[in-house]
Amino acid sequence: MRMPSSDILVIGGGPAGIQAARGIADLGYKAIVVEKRDRLGGMPDEAGYAALTPDMRDTGEAIAEMVAPILDNPGVELRFGTTATACTGVAGDFNVTLQKADGAAEDICVGSVIICTGFKHFDPGRETQQYGYYQYDDVITLVDCERMLKAKNFVRPSNGEVPERVCFIQCVGSRDRQIGNEYCSKVCCGVASKEAIEIRQQVPGCRVFVFYIDMRMYGYWENEIYWPAQEKYKVNYVKGIATEVVRKGDKLIVKGEDTTLRRPMEVPMDMVILSVGMEPSEGTEAMAKVFGVKQNKYRFIETIGGALDTVSTTVSGIFAAGACTGPADLEDSTSSGGAAAMKAIACVRKANTQIPA
Amino acid sequence: MPVDKTQIIEKELAVVDGIELSADWNRMFEQRTLFDYDLQYMDRITDLDGGESLGWCYQCAQCIPVCPVNTVGDYGPRKIFRKAQTGTNLFEHPDLWQCTTCANCLRVCPKEVNMIDIMPAVREEAVMEGYVPDELQEAFENTFEYGNPLGESPRKRAAWIQETGATVPVMKDIGRAVDILWFVECYPAYHPRGKEASAALARVLGTLGVDFGVLGTEEKCTCDSQRLAGEKGLFEEFAEANIKTLGKYSFNTILVTDPHALNALRKEYPAMGGEYDVVHYTTYLAPRMQELKFTRKLDYRVTFHDPCYLGRHNGEYEAPRQMLAAIPGVEVTEMQRCRENSFCCGGGGGGMWLDGFMSDHVKERLSEQRVKEAVETGADVLAVCCPYEVSRFTDAVKSTGNEGKLVVRDIIELVTEAMG
Repeated sequence: MRMPSSDILVIGGGPAGIQAARGIADLGYKAIVVEKRDRLGGMPDEAGYAALTPDMRDTGEAIAEMVAPILDNPGVELRFGTTATACTGVAGDFNVTLQKADGAAEDICVGSVIICTGFKHFDPGRETQQYGYYQYDDVITLVDCERMLKAKNFVRPSNGEVPERVCFIQCVGSRDRQIGNEYCSKVCCGVASKEAIEIRQQVPGCRVFVFYIDMRMYGYWENEIYWPAQEKYKVNYVKGIATEVVRKGDKLIVKGEDTTLRRPMEVPMDMVILSVGMEPSEGTEAMAKVFGVKQNKYRFIETIGGALDTVSTTVSGIFAAGACTGPADLEDSTSSGGAAAMKAIACVRKANTQIPA
Repeated sequence: MPVDKTQIIEKELAVVDGIELSADWNRMFEQRTLFDYDLQYMDRITDLDGGESLGWCYQCAQCIPVCPVNTVGDYGPRKIFRKAQTGTNLFEHPDLWQCTTCANCLRVCPKEVNMIDIMPAVREEAVMEGYVPDELQEAFENTFEYGNPLGESPRKRAAWIQETGATVPVMKDIGRAVDILWFVECYPAYHPRGKEASAALARVLGTLGVDFGVLGTEEKCTCDSQRLAGEKGLFEEFAEANIKTLGKYSFNTILVTDPHALNALRKEYPAMGGEYDVVHYTTYLAPRMQELKFTRKLDYRVTFHDPCYLGRHNGEYEAPRQMLAAIPGVEVTEMQRCRENSFCCGGGGGGMWLDGFMSDHVKERLSEQRVKEAVETGADVLAVCCPYEVSRFTDAVKSTGNEGKLVVRDIIELVTEAMG
């Protein structure tokens, strides 16, 4: 009889996966981290975030600090350019097929699996509303804005000029029955406010507006981002998101209602930043199928314990952490990564005790 | 002053140049769509010393239900924020003069948007640029010229003493130190109802054997309401003069009749170099009520109006009630809005001198609202302890048709009535 493995497979090298691998190694077990890209860091690195929300730390620096403990760590085996393509077995004794980009496949034996394959940013081209993301150069997303802020080059894409007035439109791709994403993406209010502060820091002459339905600045984000944005950086928050964006001359006209004044508004802007939300990444959807775990109505991986167990999936021994289970901020992702490491270790220990030598 | 253009105006009757227009002519549609967010006025306000916190409003709207002005008109701090954010020039807008600085909004504001700082800061700019309602300007000019907003002769500031036959030592005549320096202030010195209350207070102080004196004609207006209405320069000039005068005499405590004077002397004068122990007459007398001999039982049902500048601004809610409770026969009944949530008589922050102006912007005076509320309690006496209130509420009793149902009395007058 084959010995069950006590190794734990972590799929995805973003914040949740990094934290899970670190926890597994710290507790004396071995983590095999599979990452389809050739580097760690996940979405903050891949999308080129300028600074992280809410503490505004430089993304590169923060990711490097996160990654350091799992580099050259005997308890962590990193496999880049690799994905999982098949899985058989049961908790404590899974056989997983890993495939490299060149097609080379290898089967490994692991006791448990943690899926940390994250989210993708909503594509505003798939909108029911008319924000013209693919039509107007000066309509960008939070992600595009991050890249510009990181490059310290916040200018109008259409003409390279420094903008005098920009606005964020919140809830793009979130809280929308027609689109199918009824959930709140949780981070966009904070990220937009963080970017608004960065814009005011980099381009002090540029006025910033945020058109919102509700500002959802939970916990300390309220005092750490929202209040400074409004009070210190004079960012203007206006209740009511825009319905459409049209071009007039070289300006964009944002049309909506100023709800607290109960008046329609058609206000010129130099740039419009769409606060796009989260959807499950392709990797998340693929892994759900490979490992046979149930996806929820929104195609994120379903966790079964409600608020009391945020990492167990419908398959025993397979756990999920981070934004592959639904909208999550960095804090959620690292926390659930740690929680998943603990559950996965408990799973392999239990399996090793139960199966006779 | 420009008209607020945010509304569609539909008049029941439109008269233009004396010609009555009918039907569709009465409908005047103003521009509905907002075509811009002009931030220049918001920036100008938030750049002012004291104006910063206007930009902190996040539209929770808790200020609106507690704003007295909003109960009679369309006004409130969160609305001021939105108007400024959408390009209204508050410096030249009628809204600038509606706030009575009653501080009920600040009491409930989670963001601490402080209209008590914002309004004087913006008004000061407007005053310098000449955008001041005429009647307020007149009060400023009276104060400047005569030392009181009523425009009465400064030489007659102590005339009430003789007129009422009160026994009141005047500091410059007695030439010695006193325990209590009574800062009488303008309305208690000049207004007919104020004089009566002053005579009553003089009698009580005398009965209690208080060693006191007044400044007489040397006293000038403390100008707290002028300061809040935007005349900071006038305030500073008068504060300097009063501090200089007070510096000539020795006393332990300043006693005031007027909560607005209490506010100035206690909170504003120290920064100008005048540090005093200041006490409102109710705070001073409440613990001494048992020393008075009452010969009459007053069978009055009394309701009490907390002055904004005694209560919310300076934290005294108990002393007036203790005084009332000590008067034989008086039964006290509270109005719904009392203590911390007390209503405003409309006189603060310059409102005392803006009744004509305000009549174009509100459906009725705050004092009228308050009198109706007092009548609802079944009270026959509305007791007050701020000199603005006696005249304001007395007028309101008449204008609301409640003469005969309700009388307005200063607490000190009830005390002397019971003394017999």
